[in-house]
This record gives sequence, structure tokens and C-alpha cells, in this order.
Amino acid sequence: MLTLIKREIEDAIVLVLGAVIFTAIVITVWVSCVYRGMSVLNIGSWPTAAFIFTIICCVMGIWQMRTDRTKKISSFLLTLPVTRRRILIARIITGFLVILLVLVPVTITAFVLLQRFGPPIPLYKDFFLDIFVAAFLMSFACYCIGLHNGWSSGKVVSILGSLILTGLFLPLVIIKGIGPQALVIVSLFITALLIRTWQKFMATSL
Amino acid sequence: MKSKIKYAVKVFAAGFIVIVLLSIPLFWLRLICQEILGENLPDEAKNIYMRPSGLVPSEIVVDHNIVQSLVSAYMNTRELPLYGIINCFKAEEPAFYYYSNNGNWSYFDKTLGLIVCAYAPRMNVDGKVTLAKAVTLYAGPDGISETAAQNLGRFVIPIVDTGNIHSASLVLTGYDRGLRCFFAINFVKRVVTKGPQLSKNDFHKPIQIGRISGISKSELLIWSPPMTEVKDTNEKGDSDRKHISDKLRPTINYTYSAGQYELVLDESGRIDLLDKETLVFAGKAGFLPAPQTLYDSKDSVTPKDLLDYDVLPVTLKTDNEYRGILAKSVLREGTSMALAVFDEKGRMIKCDYTKTQGSSGKTMESSVAFFFGSPAAPVFTITRYLLENLQPPVLSMASFITADSFSAVAGHNALFILPNSFVAMSARQVDRTITAKLFLAMIYIILPSLVLSIWLTCKVARDAAMVGLSDRARFYWKIGTILFGLTAYITYRLTRPGITLVTCENCGKLRRPDMEKCHRCGSKWHVPELTAPAWRVVD
Repeated sequence: MLTLIKREIEDAIVLVLGAVIFTAIVITVWVSCVYRGMSVLNIGSWPTAAFIFTIICCVMGIWQMRTDRTKKISSFLLTLPVTRRRILIARIITGFLVILLVLVPVTITAFVLLQRFGPPIPLYKDFFLDIFVAAFLMSFACYCIGLHNGWSSGKVVSILGSLILTGLFLPLVIIKGIGPQALVIVSLFITALLIRTWQKFMATSL
Repeated sequence: MKSKIKYAVKVFAAGFIVIVLLSIPLFWLRLICQEILGENLPDEAKNIYMRPSGLVPSEIVVDHNIVQSLVSAYMNTRELPLYGIINCFKAEEPAFYYYSNNGNWSYFDKTLGLIVCAYAPRMNVDGKVTLAKAVTLYAGPDGISETAAQNLGRFVIPIVDTGNIHSASLVLTGYDRGLRCFFAINFVKRVVTKGPQLSKNDFHKPIQIGRISGISKSELLIWSPPMTEVKDTNEKGDSDRKHISDKLRPTINYTYSAGQYELVLDESGRIDLLDKETLVFAGKAGFLPAPQTLYDSKDSVTPKDLLDYDVLPVTLKTDNEYRGILAKSVLREGTSMALAVFDEKGRMIKCDYTKTQGSSGKTMESSVAFFFGSPAAPVFTITRYLLENLQPPVLSMASFITADSFSAVAGHNALFILPNSFVAMSARQVDRTITAKLFLAMIYIILPSLVLSIWLTCKVARDAAMVGLSDRARFYWKIGTILFGLTAYITYRLTRPGITLVTCENCGKLRRPDMEKCHRCGSKWHVPELTAPAWRVVD
């Protein structure tokens, strides 16, 4: 499994590096803003960063599936002692890790800045944790949309379809917020997308 | 059996994806219609003016040179789109009692069960006021201390005067729902005063204290005192030019406070006066007025039924006596508003509702004018009605049944069950029996939805028969499409077996190549009998 995950990361190395650079930019901008005297709780630019990140997640899903389809990676891997189930799990774990690669350093930075510059009220920490969970679930849902549509045969359908569906889905957080109700809907949505992707990937002839 | 479970899982997964992705654009389209209807509503239908307010002693009001006192209230119809995300941030707010940039803060620590406050006390050193080192204090129902000691007691579910969040007040008045008693905390004097526990038979269930307002928390309710006209002459540089202007000056000073009392909002919509000293109820201050609705609805409302509300107490500085309150309520759908004035004994002096003049010159309630008042309004009302009918009929029926169960604010970010839809509005009317309401809802309100569902069911049934789904699967699809309408139809199109059909030799219709018998006529495949050839290959 580790070899498969390593292979997946190598295949999507451009996106992984992009995610690292994105994280570095977000952290640098935030830290410099705080050192220039802005409040650590100033979250005005977060929605833009979050929107860009969810689009990156969606593109990553499409990228993984399109690369597999066009380069026949699964067809090649199946000549080795590997099952389709393991290939898909390795792919999903890779996506999961890349999302954490961005969100965990940003959240840790938030906690450190809050500890150093923010008011010593634990409520803010809980609030940051809620935002982290919501951001993770939304990003993962967008990644799953990319995975689900990326396996479609048409290039335009898979790319445009995924981006349109992501555009439709993202406003859910504006409508429902980041409360438990919204998180339940997003979790179920992720489960449904993973089931559909699983069934599609398992049933399609390579 | 395994394939049947797989198919069911596939259908449910696809169905959930479809219902979520369909509900979101439908939400935005409904919201656009609502926004346009709100914009088209004339300004006069969004405002209520009452002159005189009735809160000023008669000896001041009878003076003819005085412009009498005025109460004005405005109904904001533009804040709706951000309710979902705003609610999440606002939900955090009551947890803070205040937080100011100078480092003072106070909040309720759930794990400790204590109200924690940090502030820097002011010190007078050699005539100069300086701030001492900040101290952190822990307050419980039984005392206050610099450590979270056990003898302080523990709060369970405290609510405090939310008006203090931004005012950085070091005096908090509150009520604990678990302990069922009021309390007052003075952090400067380090004193906690606890009121008597409410008896088990007491009907009071306080939900807000002090500044009573709903989600908008905006200054949309204003009281103006009586004004007197003053001719003011200003000289500006050039002595030849004199600017004479008329100015209005207030004849009395006032504050938006209840004097010796705090206002307490009850779960039932009743507003009571709480004596700040004794922390016991001192009488009724009024209640939240019920706005007029499209269909005749109930006369009394609770805070849960209202999209927004605002209550302002008025105290005149002339005698420093509490005079009464102004209470504003906005209907759940955001289409009408009621404004009431109560005197110091809690008696309603005046009450008015938002209304406008119709094209025929007749007065029209704003709840009606919202949907049919302006020339373009019926178009958007019908569009919204049709959009609501694209929701699954089963969810429309759920909206009918649960019309009163959801809070008005939650209803504005509803995706699946719509408590502010026409069907839910009809369910809330009081002058009809439940059977009549159900009949009305079925016939007039969700009829397009039912017609669409039946038409789609016919299409699904025809297609399912063609692709050879089993009788049982077809039955489930028919039921599902009747209940879920468009959502079920899209799900069916996404999950139907994608098999290329071949012509049956027996009936001539299309049949599935992967089935042993033709699903139309039941004939088997025509397989030519394999007979061994008479010839043999020999050496």
C-alpha cells in the first residue's frame, strides 16, 4: 500500500508541490499581517483562500483519475499483484494527505498566533477547530467530486462537470454555515460520492 | 442478492447527491425571487411611524408648539442571504459576555461552570488614574474569587444581558436555566447576588435579559422625544449674510433603559420587568406583537416564530422613571412587521402593522403587498411558487407537517424542508380545520408538484419496463418517483442499466441480451439445436 501511495504522490507531484507553496503563501501572508499589527482574528481574506483551495482539491481529484485513464496506470498496475480496491484506496489516502498537508500547518499556525497574540479565551480555539473541520470536509467533498467526475470518458465533461458541481456545492457553507447540521450533510455527501466512485471504478473495463 | 444490494446502494448514493446538488440552486433561485419581491415592496410598507408615541406625559404633548414624540421601525428585507454563515458566527457571540481591545474580556467557561473575567482595575495614584495589572476573576452563583474554587458553586446554563457584549460592562445580570434563579455579578466590587429560585409551578422561562433583540441586532427601532422648534441665527464672517435655519430640539432627555428594572423576554413572547435590586419579577412589561400574515395566523407569537424582534425600554430623565417599552416583531417570512407601544404597567397603548396603498387606493397589508402589491410581484410570486414545487412532494408534505417546528431564523437557510414556503404558510393558518388545510395544500399549493411527479412516474415506469427492470424494482421506482418527483427522476436517469438492447425474435420488441428470457414476452433465446455432423475426419 505504501508503494502505491508513493506512486500516487509521484504522479501528482505538481499538485503536491502546488499545495505546499499555497500553504507557505497563506502562512507567510497571515504571519506578516499579524506582525504588521492586524488582529489574529481578522479573517476577512479567508474565504478567498478557502475557495481557491477547494478548487485545487477538485482539480487534484480530476487530475488523478484523468491521468489514470489516459496513461492506463490501473491497467498496468493490475498486471502486478495489486487489486483495484487497493489502487483506489491509495488514491483516496493520497488526496486525504495532501488536504491535511495544507490544513494542518495553517491550523497549527492559527493556534500559535492565537496563543501569542490573541486573547486567552479557549472559545476561540474551539472556533478555530470548528473552522478546520468544516474546511477539511468541504475540501475533501470537492476532491471527491473531482474523483467521481474525473473517471468519465469525456475530458470536457469531467473537467467542466466537476467545476460546475463544485461551484454548485460550495455555497452550501454560506447557506448552512459550519454548524453540525451542515457537517452532517457534507459527510453524507462525501460518503455518497465515494460509494459512486468506488462502484464506477470497480465496474468500468480498463 | 448481492447485485440487488449493490443496486440499492448505488441508487441511494446517487439520490442523495442529486437531492443536495438540486436543492442548492433551487435555494438560490427562491432567494433571488424573495429578494426581488422585497425590493419591489414600497418603502412605506417597510416602515411604521407612530406619532405621538403615547409614552410622554400628556402635559408635554398638549403644547401645540411641540412636535410630538415619534416611534419609527424599519423592516430590513436585505439581510437574508447571509443568514446561514452569519448564524454560525453569531452563535459564538452569546458565549462572550464582552471582549474589548484594551484586554478586558469575560465569557462563560463551560468546563469550569464559571463566568471568567479579566480586567485591569483603575487606580488613582497621586491624582492620576492608571491601570493596575490585569486580574482574572472567576464568578459562580455563590461568590467570586481569583481562583476557580469549589465554594463558588457552578452555573449550569447561564444567560446574561447580551447588550453588554460590546460595552465592556463589569456588571452582569443574568439567569441560570439550570438553577432557575437570577443573579447579578459586580466584578469591580467582587460581589455576586443571587435571586430566589423560581418555583416549579412558575410559568416563566426566560431566554433573554436586558437588551432584547433578535438576529439583526441593528438600530431599526427608534424613539424620538417631543421636539420644539428653535429659530437659530448664525453669523458667519460676513455680517451682511445671516443664515437663519429652523432646528428641532428635544424638549426632554431620555435613555433606552428600564431604570430600576431589567427587561426579561420569556419563551412565550411575554416581556417582564425584573427588579435589579431584589432580582424578582416586578410585573409585566408587554409582549411581542404578532405581525399580520398572508393567511390568518395565530394572534400570539413566540420569539421562535419571528424572523426578528426588537424591544426598547424608555426612561425619561426628567423624573428618571421607567415609561414603557416599544416592541417590534418581523414575521417569519420577512414580509410584514408589527410595532406595539406598552405603558409602564404593561398595557398596550398602540399597535400598528406595515401596510401600503394598493393601486385601487385600498389599504393593503404588507404580507399581501409583498406577493401581489407591485406590477411585477405576481410574476416572481408565481416563479417562487413553481420553484417550491420542484422540491420533492414528500418534503413539501414534511414542510406542511413541521410548519411550526423550526425556528423562523433556521427556516431561512432551509434546503430540504421549507418552513417558509407557501405550503408551510397555509399549514399555520388558524381559521381552518386540519383536514381543510391539508385539502387546500394538496389542491392549490402542491398540485403542480404532484402533477409533475405523476408525469415523471409514467415516464420512469415506461422506461423501466423497456430496460427490463423487475416488477418489484419498477414498483419501488414508481413509489420513489411519486414521493421524490424530479429528484427521483434524475436519479433514475443516472442509475438505469446502460445495456444495448436487441430485437426479440418472438415479439419484435427490444429485449436485454443479458437475461435468459425476453422481459416483454417471456420467450427464451432461439438456440439452434446442435446436431453432430454425419461426417468424421479419419486418418
